[in-house]
Amino acid sequence: MPRAGLDAQECEEEAVGVIMCASVKYNIRGPALIPRMKTKHRIYYITLFSIVLLGLIATGMFQFWPHSIESSGDWSVEKRSVRDVPLVRLPADSPVPERGDLSCRMHTCFDVYRCGFNPKNKIKVYIYPLKKYVGEAGVPVSSTISREYNELLTAISDSDYYTDDVTRACLFVPSIDLLNQNSLRVKETAQALAQLSRWDRGTNHLLFNMLPGGPPDYNTALDVPRDRALLAGGGFSTWTYRQGYDVSIPVYSPLSAEVDLPEKGPGPRRYFLLSSQVALHPEYREDLAALQARHGEAVLVLDKCSNLSEGVPAARRRCHQQQAFDYPQVLQEATFCMVLRGARLGQAVLSDVLRAGCVPVIIADSYVLPFSEVLDWKRASVVVPEEKMSDVYSILQSIPRRQIEEMQRQARWFWEAYFQSIKAIALATLQIINDRIYPYAAISYEDWNDPPAVKWGSVSNPLFLPLIPPQSQGFTAIVLTYDRVESLFRVITEVSKVPSLSKLLVVWNNQNKNPPEDSLWPKIRVPLKVVRTAENKLSNRFFPYDEIETEAVLAIDDDIIMLTSDELQFGYEVWREFPDRLVGYPGRLHLWDHEMNKWKYESEWTNEVSMVLTGAAFYHKYFNYLYTYKMPGDIKNWVDAHMNCEDIAMNFLVANVTGKAVIKVTPRKKFKCPECTAIDGLSLDQTHMVERSECINKFASVFGTMPLKVVEHRADPVLYKDDFPEKLKSFPNIGSL
Amino acid sequence: MQSWRRKSLWLALSASWLLILLRVFPVLRLAEPARRQAGAPQGWPRWLDAELLQSFSQPGELLEDGPQPPQAPRGGSCYRGACFDASRCRGGGLKVFVYPAVGPISETPRKVLTSIEGSRYHTASAAEACLLILVLSPDTPAGECHPELPQWDGGKNHLVLSLHPAPCLRIFQLGQAMVAEASPTMDTFRPGFDVALPLLPEAHPLRGGALGQLQQHSPLPGVALIAMAEERGGWRTVGTNFSACPWDGRCEQDHGPKQTHPRATLPNATFCLIPGRNPDALHFLQALQAGCIPVLLSPRWELPFSEVIDWTKAAVVADERLPLQVLAALQEMPLTRVLALRQQAQFLWDAYFSSVEKVIHTTLEIIQDRVSGASAHPSLLWNSPPGALLALSTFSTSPSDFPFYHLQQGSRPLGRFSALIWVGALGQPPLKLIQAVAGAQHCAQILVLWSSKKPPPPRWPETAVPLTVLDGHRKASDRFLPYSAISTDAILSLDAHSSLSTSEVDFAFMVWQSFPERMVGFLTWSHFWDETQGGWGYTGERANEFSMVLTSAAFYHRYYHTLFTHSLPKALRTLADESPPCVEVLMNFLVAAVTKLPPIKVPYGPWHQEAKPPLVPGSPRLRSEPRPAAQDCINQMAAGFGHMPLVSSRLRLDPVLFKDPVSVLRKKYRSLEKP
Repeated sequence: MPRAGLDAQECEEEAVGVIMCASVKYNIRGPALIPRMKTKHRIYYITLFSIVLLGLIATGMFQFWPHSIESSGDWSVEKRSVRDVPLVRLPADSPVPERGDLSCRMHTCFDVYRCGFNPKNKIKVYIYPLKKYVGEAGVPVSSTISREYNELLTAISDSDYYTDDVTRACLFVPSIDLLNQNSLRVKETAQALAQLSRWDRGTNHLLFNMLPGGPPDYNTALDVPRDRALLAGGGFSTWTYRQGYDVSIPVYSPLSAEVDLPEKGPGPRRYFLLSSQVALHPEYREDLAALQARHGEAVLVLDKCSNLSEGVPAARRRCHQQQAFDYPQVLQEATFCMVLRGARLGQAVLSDVLRAGCVPVIIADSYVLPFSEVLDWKRASVVVPEEKMSDVYSILQSIPRRQIEEMQRQARWFWEAYFQSIKAIALATLQIINDRIYPYAAISYEDWNDPPAVKWGSVSNPLFLPLIPPQSQGFTAIVLTYDRVESLFRVITEVSKVPSLSKLLVVWNNQNKNPPEDSLWPKIRVPLKVVRTAENKLSNRFFPYDEIETEAVLAIDDDIIMLTSDELQFGYEVWREFPDRLVGYPGRLHLWDHEMNKWKYESEWTNEVSMVLTGAAFYHKYFNYLYTYKMPGDIKNWVDAHMNCEDIAMNFLVANVTGKAVIKVTPRKKFKCPECTAIDGLSLDQTHMVERSECINKFASVFGTMPLKVVEHRADPVLYKDDFPEKLKSFPNIGSL
Repeated sequence: MQSWRRKSLWLALSASWLLILLRVFPVLRLAEPARRQAGAPQGWPRWLDAELLQSFSQPGELLEDGPQPPQAPRGGSCYRGACFDASRCRGGGLKVFVYPAVGPISETPRKVLTSIEGSRYHTASAAEACLLILVLSPDTPAGECHPELPQWDGGKNHLVLSLHPAPCLRIFQLGQAMVAEASPTMDTFRPGFDVALPLLPEAHPLRGGALGQLQQHSPLPGVALIAMAEERGGWRTVGTNFSACPWDGRCEQDHGPKQTHPRATLPNATFCLIPGRNPDALHFLQALQAGCIPVLLSPRWELPFSEVIDWTKAAVVADERLPLQVLAALQEMPLTRVLALRQQAQFLWDAYFSSVEKVIHTTLEIIQDRVSGASAHPSLLWNSPPGALLALSTFSTSPSDFPFYHLQQGSRPLGRFSALIWVGALGQPPLKLIQAVAGAQHCAQILVLWSSKKPPPPRWPETAVPLTVLDGHRKASDRFLPYSAISTDAILSLDAHSSLSTSEVDFAFMVWQSFPERMVGFLTWSHFWDETQGGWGYTGERANEFSMVLTSAAFYHRYYHTLFTHSLPKALRTLADESPPCVEVLMNFLVAAVTKLPPIKVPYGPWHQEAKPPLVPGSPRLRSEPRPAAQDCINQMAAGFGHMPLVSSRLRLDPVLFKDPVSVLRKKYRSLEKP
């Protein structure tokens, strides 16, 4: 409100102007005006202005509220037909774009600056409004739009990629339907493209085409001159496909929507090899017939039916001699299905075959498989060179059964994810282009290729590289403390004796009391830092403090004074050999309670361990980052609220991301603080155990699984308790306290 | 009075003006979108007649896609199916012949020749080979580019290989030959047919190689975020607080604190920016070796081995035209991704690039994968440790059969083991041992490998598990042959004179299941650097650390038998056969080279020592000093591997309650403490 500073005089003089919008309220209190007013006038004024204010509010509501209703109403109720779209007449001499530039790459032909506005690493796509283009003579350039192209544009428009702001778009999709080259006039379509408002030699334009070329020679890419435009094409060959620029897409099979074909599990099927295509070159037919003659029942070669029964469309029926089969159902009867080239390299049958969980045998030399930039077709198909067609049976026979089943599953997954609808095809195409423009946010090979079942079961250890960190780096000890200063000082003194300690961090979790003065702290040989926290939370122990400069972290409670220096040093050595695990001293176990049907916490002397307490444990500092920022669900807050189980949560977290068990070090001791003995141990223990069991059950339900791994071993020094002179042992002082 | 009345009038007037304006103004303001709403609603319209639209293809058009005769490959365009005749490789798999060098050749081509000749695919006969390799030398004068090659045949099934830009490659009539070239430009590279090689420095080691520099998983605090490759070689580190693009000459003003490093040093930074021009490809390998994440700015060259290596996991390919976005993305990259990229970059360096031999073997492996079709390495094997050179696809193509991928696959090794007992030259049937092992909870079968001169006894003791006698050939390396009779993932390798108790076997097997990629053994040796001799030595003396476990009593995965037999150079295996303790060393070297981790030791009762039979000459001794003759083998092995792969461990895995002061009855493995 820049004008608020004006006084009443100025306001009056300018009142006719437009300016004094909202200073009304200010005027009424204006210092020049009010002292001169009588009370009744004041009331009069107040009434007047209340009316004005009310009017203002009413106006505002009238302006904004009804409009929002109106606009959404506009949006859905509006009745429009494809036939009513505006007509554009193309003069015969309007410019034609150049033919595609085969040397185009993203860094040469694509204007990446237009993507600079896009937040969240997502490209923005603009769709040109639909128009009907006619040539000079009034003959339409093509059919206005096909069902599939309409679906495709709808899918883009409904996605996060869409923008209706042409100035902020990074990718432009013309609404001119190019899916089938046979249904358009090449030159005139090119002219229509060239007159698009942002065409600019086709830069950043994406064209979709599934059936390229035309008789007699059937080019493998769309013949429409398109200059620098990206082409998402079905049926590319290696010499028309611009690697890293174009996108190879599937030829959509309309049967995907028409026929219901439930998933059939993998495994051996009635026919080993099936050919279901009808329009095959006679040479291929001969080869197929020869295959069938050689291998009999195992191979089934289908063809058109000569006498079609009533009511079944030709696309849904196949025959072998007199025997008739339903298509595509018959594909589910075969382990391998042929996908031979026709006039075009891309065949819609590929989609049907994948859907049936039949492993496609692709015999189409130089064909660039759909989405081959990201999909690993080796996992779902067998590619056989055309000249090896007669050997195809023996090639397939050599594949182990387990691998075949894997391929069947993978084929079906590819169909579900990337083939089954026009929407799936469109979004996969945009994702590929998006990944090229924002490579640092690209989705991974596993995301593209692994079926959900595999993704769910697999663990990718964040510290997967086998490395033994150098001993010289040492570790940082983090002591969480509240007010037990005396005990804390003892811990500090003890820990400082460990040779590999490189820094000591005290996390002072008490906001009501200041930490002791500097002079009172024990003098130790390594830097000692005190971090004061804002709130008394257990998660402060696992915060990734900048002060932690080593990879190894020793979390230690302020009452753990019974660990010897040898034991701690040995624990660090063990951690170096297992840097991706929790390496700790007291071990615990989780058990399945069959009576209660839930998990139970166990701290007795068991033969197994699945957790270590973080009252004394080494771990990689990366897990601090994970605990603080990536803990699933509400576990972190839950732990802070209950002031318990932060160690169990850490055990769950580490086991879940690494898939590995903890390492318990050195023999068992009584880990109890001396001052605790005064309290009635037993009852305290029992409530404690119940609480801890609850934690395990809570965490297991948040993680959706039980990640903890049970093991029966612990780590001791090589010569532990061996008949060997103690003074020659590296770590003699283990298990002594 | 007058004045305030006038004022009130004015005020009323202004108020009504305001009201009018407020009514009109928003209408004006909304006018434009309102018009747009009328014309083109947000998003693509939902057409009323969408249901009536025709399909993009006429019914039947997809079926009747007119038949077309098979086409011959177009001139000049080669791809695998057309120009490479894989049928010549059927039967014996890939066989590679390399044309011998004509005249004196420089260092690098010699290393290449040596590497090819050392490959398991190599054959000395050109007639038998299905791949013929011509190694181009960078110093061949352009006039002598056309050697007379009797088997040339238009270049069919030929691979023209050049590790450094060779002038001949531009002149040579390549015909149908594949090209393996260092950082080829994207325009000439034929994916799936040519092979993109890395641009190696002149003095790249032949084998073993320059080790990766990465010492820890996460970047050190305070290390530079970005190092920028300089034109004259060398690196320039750029501080973390910069706002301008460090590679664009136009914004030279503020780079923050920067340091220039001489040519040879490796960059010490989290990210390494590498310009896209071809000569900068050299920086790429330096970055990998340093464990610095390569950020390639619009590379004009094909990344090395891009056919099989998923570079998105190890490098960032960014557009040099968007400097600020790239920098912002690097600065904001989540720690999880930084960690993954770092480790992957380092893994790839160690697996495929650290020596000339690895580069050449990777090239051959890629072609082998093309030849073998469906039984090629799955992507996972190429892109996760230990890498495809160490995960043989002849063993299996299913990752869960290997010991390395159980986590990624969500699988587990089979819960049983096979005991393989080797009976040496003068051995007696190990009856007591058989009983002890057969009693183990998870024993699936016992295999006796009879290598003694005496015939095996006709009768063997009755055991709970099947017992099979295999006939050995009296060679020490026999025990590591991949016998098809082995039906489990785990092998318990034993000598006839080994002494083990059932509960020791049980516990060791439990441990092995947690570490299926490592060797889990009872008796250990350790290696050391001998200053006086200037070489490696090893000892069986009891010590605080160890680096080898004796295969006379050890669990390991059966895959190591396949790897031992098929991947090790013949020379090393011959050496091992000559001196039996060498076999043990060799197996330990092999497993350590694959896992880069130490083996695992489990407790072994001291009472076995007393009960041990007198040492049999010629068989590995237990816990005794290896004979001096054998000492040399460790040095020859280290030379053969190119480096010392053994890693020491200072720990032993014991049962959780081992020797704890609790009742023995509570302990599961109580007999480990007393016989």
